[in-house]
Amino acid sequence: MDHGEETILELDRIVKKYRTKAFLFGARGQEVIALNEISIKVTRGEIFGLVGESGSGKTTAGRLIVRLEQPGEGKIYLDDHDITSLKGKASKAYSRRVQMIFQDPYQSLNPQLSIFDTISEPLIIHKIGNTKAKEDAVWQTMKSIGLSPPHDFAHRYPHQLSGGQRQRVAIARAMVLNPEFVVADEPTSMLDASMSAQIFNILLEMRKKLNVSFLFITHSLAAARYLCDRIAVIYRGNVVEVGPGDEVIENPKHPYTQALIDALPKFRYSGDKKRYQTLIRAERRVPEHAGCPFFSRCKRADPIKCSREKPPLMRLGDSHSVACFYAEPGIKTSSGDNA
Amino acid sequence: MSEESIDKKPLQKFRWISRFHAGWAVFKQSLFGKIGLTLLTFFALMALCSFIPPLVNPMYQPMAGVDPEISTVTGPSMRHWLGTDFMGRDLLSQLLAGARIAFMVGVSAAFMSVFLGTTVGMIAGYMGKFVDTFLMRLADIVMVMPALVVLLMLAALFGQLNIWFIVFFIALFRWPGVSRVIRAQTLSLKHRPFIEAARVAGASHLRIIFRHIMPNVLPLSFLYMTFQVTSAIIIEAALAFLGFGDPRTVSWGMMLQWVWKTGNMFKAPYWLLPPGICISLITLSFYMLGRAMDEVLDPRLRKEWKTG
Amino acid sequence: MALLEVENLTIGYQSQKGFLKAVEGVSFSLDKGRSFGFVGESGCGKTTLGMALMRLLPPNGRIEGGRIFFDGKDLLEKTDEEMRKVRWQEIAMIFQAAMNALNPVHRVIDQITEAIHTHTPSHNKDEVYEQVRALFKFVGLPEDRMRDYPHQYSGGMKQRAIIAMALACRPKLIIADEPTTALDVIVQDQILEETKSLQREFGISIIYISHDISIVADICHDIGVMYAGQLVEYGAREEVFDNPVHHYTEALLSSYPTLTGEKSQLMPIPGEAPNLINPPFGCRFSDRCTEARVSCRSNPPVWLEITPTHKVFCHQCGKHCGE
Repeated sequence: MDHGEETILELDRIVKKYRTKAFLFGARGQEVIALNEISIKVTRGEIFGLVGESGSGKTTAGRLIVRLEQPGEGKIYLDDHDITSLKGKASKAYSRRVQMIFQDPYQSLNPQLSIFDTISEPLIIHKIGNTKAKEDAVWQTMKSIGLSPPHDFAHRYPHQLSGGQRQRVAIARAMVLNPEFVVADEPTSMLDASMSAQIFNILLEMRKKLNVSFLFITHSLAAARYLCDRIAVIYRGNVVEVGPGDEVIENPKHPYTQALIDALPKFRYSGDKKRYQTLIRAERRVPEHAGCPFFSRCKRADPIKCSREKPPLMRLGDSHSVACFYAEPGIKTSSGDNA
Repeated sequence: MSEESIDKKPLQKFRWISRFHAGWAVFKQSLFGKIGLTLLTFFALMALCSFIPPLVNPMYQPMAGVDPEISTVTGPSMRHWLGTDFMGRDLLSQLLAGARIAFMVGVSAAFMSVFLGTTVGMIAGYMGKFVDTFLMRLADIVMVMPALVVLLMLAALFGQLNIWFIVFFIALFRWPGVSRVIRAQTLSLKHRPFIEAARVAGASHLRIIFRHIMPNVLPLSFLYMTFQVTSAIIIEAALAFLGFGDPRTVSWGMMLQWVWKTGNMFKAPYWLLPPGICISLITLSFYMLGRAMDEVLDPRLRKEWKTG
Repeated sequence: MALLEVENLTIGYQSQKGFLKAVEGVSFSLDKGRSFGFVGESGCGKTTLGMALMRLLPPNGRIEGGRIFFDGKDLLEKTDEEMRKVRWQEIAMIFQAAMNALNPVHRVIDQITEAIHTHTPSHNKDEVYEQVRALFKFVGLPEDRMRDYPHQYSGGMKQRAIIAMALACRPKLIIADEPTTALDVIVQDQILEETKSLQREFGISIIYISHDISIVADICHDIGVMYAGQLVEYGAREEVFDNPVHHYTEALLSSYPTLTGEKSQLMPIPGEAPNLINPPFGCRFSDRCTEARVSCRSNPPVWLEITPTHKVFCHQCGKHCGE
């Protein structure tokens, strides 16, 4: 899988911890591990899906990539350059190549700036071109996103646009610099189905026309299936399964992925029987930070092994990896490997 | 294929005009706003009219125009609509001049204090940590100092104070209140996604503060300016009343001081009441204006309507 | 006789720009023990409809016309005091983001107890306590957490507490408006399962309002599709989903990505929903409909019957009717 395909972005054993506020004087707050040594590789031109529920760490991973926060341990590589601790000019240059689309279209646009100002802002920050060149770039981006005719929208303000239109403005702002890599953090979770569909199609077109790579962060497996070439499932700060989109959904191997698929309401009222049934009814109590993150809910778990050892990502077939000791009989353990 | 480029100026015009119209529509509905604005217009006219009397007749000069025929306190008459003070000076022209001073002092002091307070508040709120702690402790110290007492001490040291000095010092004592509010607003804005989006786009801290945060706190600043005007006018009036105002200016506080000093407080209501009522009314009208502006600037009114 | 019968309900809001007709001419009926789901995108009027059924519209909202028959009595004729009695005891509502409705300074058990006490003051303390215990058990909350404060609960637990509160007075009807949006998929699934079993156990009727068709398809017997304030199609869920007739329903269904089946391109619906202050006279979907004819724009649509239980609000249903 790695031959000939360029890796544009890599997260190498990233750890991110937070300390919640101390409750009493002297007592330290609790430590929360948002990301527990995750590693991801995205190839150029790929749409990579990071699927997880709230609190799984998926948004944190996205924020680390765009450098809104710094990892505690581990490294991030853009095109083989270590960008983990960039400062100053290098950091600014990085923002030309990596951008982000935020989740909430109602909050991610400055209410005091017109649409034109919002989209031209990155051009002004990076001092790209003269006034005319900037205008042309803005018009072109707006047209390619479907905000046509651009003059109609240019002088309007965010509160005059619908949610779907605002999100398109946010996409235009991210794309106006022609970045190589874009983190899309749940870009449709606040939109209706029809507007979401529009956004998905826009992302697909961007990828086709400009060969931009995307990290698509979502809680919806169905959306990931539609949009993504490869999917990684993340649970409580750990990547538990990675593989080609269709493969992970039709043939999930990790009990958490299977539980997710079981839990999704299907369009057709399916019968009450679940296909995989990997969850136990009541959670087991476990000491924090030890063993497999899914141990407390897993039906398949071995009480000794799974509570003590954390399973690494293990390669299953061609480019499909799972972090579970019992994903398949006779599974090979080549630790640290990921597809 | 080139697009006709859109001139930036019309964009700017659009913005202020449409926002003004929207704001005015809301303002119109507020009773407070209408009353406040009416009163203020009245006082503004008064202030403008203060330029008329000296032109008409040097006798109506507020400070020096002494009526050669009258040299004591007299009641309202055809000649002097509000009467004259203890020196025979016309009271009405004094009242009009007082309006001018009130606006001047009020607006200048308010503008300065809000300017200072907003800048400090934004920087403290955005930069956080040491800068924030330092600036806020500074604000605390200033806030705790009794403004009037310090001004009195300065007056005792330097003799009579110039009116602009007074304005400057009022501003110097009043900025902490504004900075606290602006800092709070900045703190809440700091973590909003559109600020993060600016950071991701590569904006420098300075750019974020002035391009993204400032436009969002300015409405609050303007609101506070109206409140600051009231306190500035009252401080000036208090100073003047206590005898520490600028003796070369005629303000309502000054008038009150003269009425009191010359023992006419209960003898000449036509002298005592007008300046007192004016001070109360002008502060009330600025307050009402502020309240109405609050409704205009409240973001709840700007959001579109979800009917679900 | 049906538990709830709504006839020609029209609801509007007074706004600065004019009178906004949020809901127009909606009629449907709901039997005891059945669940009816309303789907539609934001702005279609489904939340307004839910609030109006409880007569809980905001001050600028007005019910302009129509009737709401609950248990044979017209709710619109009741006084405020009478409605207060109906609410919670006979009809309960779970609002959007209801978990924020829990008062953070009171224990959860106290809040539920108070809800019971307000509406049935005759019960003594022990009876009420037992009731709450039973409720906790039904909604799947551990008994040892009864005396906790809301902030100690997770999102899913708070939602369950809200459901327990809604059930506290054994209402006949529950109106749930997007009760699971903020929840994780797995928790959502558990709550939906519990809702289904509660319905079977207590025979409660449910009106479920959501923009997510997949959830509604999972737990509702009948579905109503709303667009621009009007009901455009309704019927049993099998009928509506396997055989969507209205072009909006078809378009809506094909704009959802699916987990199974073939991956076809998602077709977003072009254009925008009409302005509800001056809605078009003819069919409100006509300017976005691929099959629209000239007559669609000029004449209001009519109700066409596909089967006795499946009806659509359109001019032409082509191959679907025997016409």
